[in-house]
Amino acid sequence: MRAADLLEFAWRVVRGYRSRTLLILLAMGIGVAAVIAVSSIGEGARLYIVNQFGSLGTNLVIVLPGRSETAGAMPGVLIGRTPRDLTLDDALALKRSPAVRRLAPLIVGAGDARAGARSREAPVLGSTAELMDIRHMVLAQGRFLPEGDPRLAQPVCVIGAKLATELFGPRPVLGEWLRIGDWRFRIVGVLAAQGQSLGFNTDEIVIVPVAAAQALFDTEALFRILVEAKSRELIAPAQSDIEEILRERHEGKRDVTVITQDAVLATFDRILRALTLAVGGLAAISLAVAGILIMNVMLISVTQRRGEIGLLRALGATGPQIRLAFFTEAVLLALGGATLGLVVGKLGQVAIGQIYPEIPFTPPWWALIAAPATAIVTAVLFSVAPARRAARLDPVQALSKR
Amino acid sequence: MFLADFVRFTVASLAAHRLRTLLTALGIAVGIAAVMLLTAIGEGLHRFVIAEFTQFGTNIITVTPGTITTHGASLGAVNTARPLSIDDALALERARYVKVVDPLVQGNAEVEYAGRGRRVTLYGVGADFATALSMRVASGEFLPHEDPRTPRAFAVLGSKVAEELYGAENPLGSRLRVGGERYRVIGVMEAKGQVLGFDLDDTVYIPVARAIDMFNRESLMEIHVVYEPTVPLAEVEAEIRRILIARHGVEDFTLTPQEKMLEVFDTVLTAITFAVSAIGAISLLVGGIGILTILTIAVAERTSEIGLLRAIGATQRAVLLLFLGEAALLAALGGAAGLALGWGVAWLLKLLLPALPVHTPWLYAVLAECVAVAVGLAAGVLPARRAARLDPLEALRGE
Repeated sequence: MRAADLLEFAWRVVRGYRSRTLLILLAMGIGVAAVIAVSSIGEGARLYIVNQFGSLGTNLVIVLPGRSETAGAMPGVLIGRTPRDLTLDDALALKRSPAVRRLAPLIVGAGDARAGARSREAPVLGSTAELMDIRHMVLAQGRFLPEGDPRLAQPVCVIGAKLATELFGPRPVLGEWLRIGDWRFRIVGVLAAQGQSLGFNTDEIVIVPVAAAQALFDTEALFRILVEAKSRELIAPAQSDIEEILRERHEGKRDVTVITQDAVLATFDRILRALTLAVGGLAAISLAVAGILIMNVMLISVTQRRGEIGLLRALGATGPQIRLAFFTEAVLLALGGATLGLVVGKLGQVAIGQIYPEIPFTPPWWALIAAPATAIVTAVLFSVAPARRAARLDPVQALSKR
Repeated sequence: MFLADFVRFTVASLAAHRLRTLLTALGIAVGIAAVMLLTAIGEGLHRFVIAEFTQFGTNIITVTPGTITTHGASLGAVNTARPLSIDDALALERARYVKVVDPLVQGNAEVEYAGRGRRVTLYGVGADFATALSMRVASGEFLPHEDPRTPRAFAVLGSKVAEELYGAENPLGSRLRVGGERYRVIGVMEAKGQVLGFDLDDTVYIPVARAIDMFNRESLMEIHVVYEPTVPLAEVEAEIRRILIARHGVEDFTLTPQEKMLEVFDTVLTAITFAVSAIGAISLLVGGIGILTILTIAVAERTSEIGLLRAIGATQRAVLLLFLGEAALLAALGGAAGLALGWGVAWLLKLLLPALPVHTPWLYAVLAECVAVAVGLAAGVLPARRAARLDPLEALRGE
């Protein structure tokens, strides 16, 4: 039997039983589509979070006060306080490291921003001029915090777009006074609207000079220091430099935690990849069910086509050739189902993309390969038993009609 | 047709094609087992998380400064222009319905004993902390009731700190350096283990006023209020609001009742369980298509039989019911096998991974079986209608 004949033979069988072929295609298609759609949701979530994290800055090293022996106690490190604060001088000392391009000390807190009779509680960020470049912030109007000695508490501030409209309405805000607590700040800039970024809405914040924030919250302690390394390769040297400098400044005690953006990203990436894989795997169970269906239908068709198979054998077709014919049929069905599934899955992904435009839904490359491949492999595996049964038929008995 | 005939007929047609029946039922079984197992894991996780939370009691309200929250944590706890003070906590103690009030400051500090040092989570708490969060003291006692503004320098250790710093030695009465200050150890807590990522044993508890001084803060991070469990939550909240607004002039704090947190967790976990089971249910759908396919083939094969049935007086309705019954029975068999399979795997998981919480509620099992039968019936409708609509004459002529 030539390959062309084999294909022709299988094709006729597939076309001959329209309804059952359609149903098998449907079953396979649902399986493949499910794997594609589900894994593209997982992948979309992964890319979304990774992008959000990436948009925090590039080559970032983050310094937190406090350190913990057990890794599980992260939350304590995240918001807790320490007897020895991370100070502004600590931050400025980090500039000694040749691997550091720029850095921004950070103080956060909640303050009540008031203008005229309107008042609103807003997150207050104390930082320096370099924060803008490190965090890739974009201004809509005016300018950012002035450069200069960060120890000087200049009474200026930059506010988020939403806060500007809520406090001032359509009036121009540049040059207006904003009161926070007992302090007054002149608004020198308004941030462009960015929306949520990792649960922190930059449209509602107030950014003031770090020294002003220290006075406002009556604290010396920095919440974080954001450090940007000069290049990707210099992240590790920057990290060790920072640890060394702060150890020297803190009387030889290692009481800070230095994490790199890459390390955090990698952790998120790993967890979300694993989740996507798991969810895709769950969806793939349906492919196994579709495989069972193929086996079932083929077993029936072996019984129904006894005469035909007997004739083929009588004409000189060998057992392996008969087997091959059945495998070809299974592969054809699987291919059809996989194509259908890929198309439907892709359509589904586009549809969800329309509902949540901010999340980049896209099927991961492994799902695009693995889903059709799994479909074909299951189809072939499950057609082994029917094919063997067909190949073992005795031509004489088969032709004699039971 | 009598019911007995009906059952006999259906069973006979399934028994005639054993392998076919087996494979079709297997498709449904895999689907049901997947749904069953995933719900079991989801439900187990659900119960695990809720249990972790309720071990501290459910009648707790947490008061945090400020009204902004990010990532579920109050931003005001870090720094705020509107602080919560120890006096606020004392004022809340006098409120109606309130049983226990516990001010809290948390941080990270180094503790030292006999040359051995360790970085731990430091809690500045009131004397009622252990009561409020239903934690027990293993030896010694918890911080004493005294004027919370000028407390003595006593410390209580978490079990892990005691073990790491003292080994076999008895820590009670010893002098411990906490963040450069000297404290007398008066108690060791019972081991509590990890709770949702927090290691509650790697901690040291000191009086809250001393922690505020040590961290050079002005204010508390949060105040826990334990109220009478019989009083409605809304009244307690109103009472706390009234007192704090009277003291602060405006509502510049957030109340987070434990009950509300539990509700949020409950919703999220239910949604996750549902989503994961829905993914498992895709296999069930494919299994249903399997039944549809097989019945379609069966109708084609048994045309003459159906014709005969109709010719000797079976109504269209009877034929329809016959095929529907066959579909339902197939699915029910598959469903039962799936339940057994799901249960078996869940049981195996429990043996192999005791850490993974698995819980299979009876209700879900019954529900899953019903779903299986429903899927079977839905899949049977098309082929059964086709069979019922066959013209007896045409069907018999095919022979």
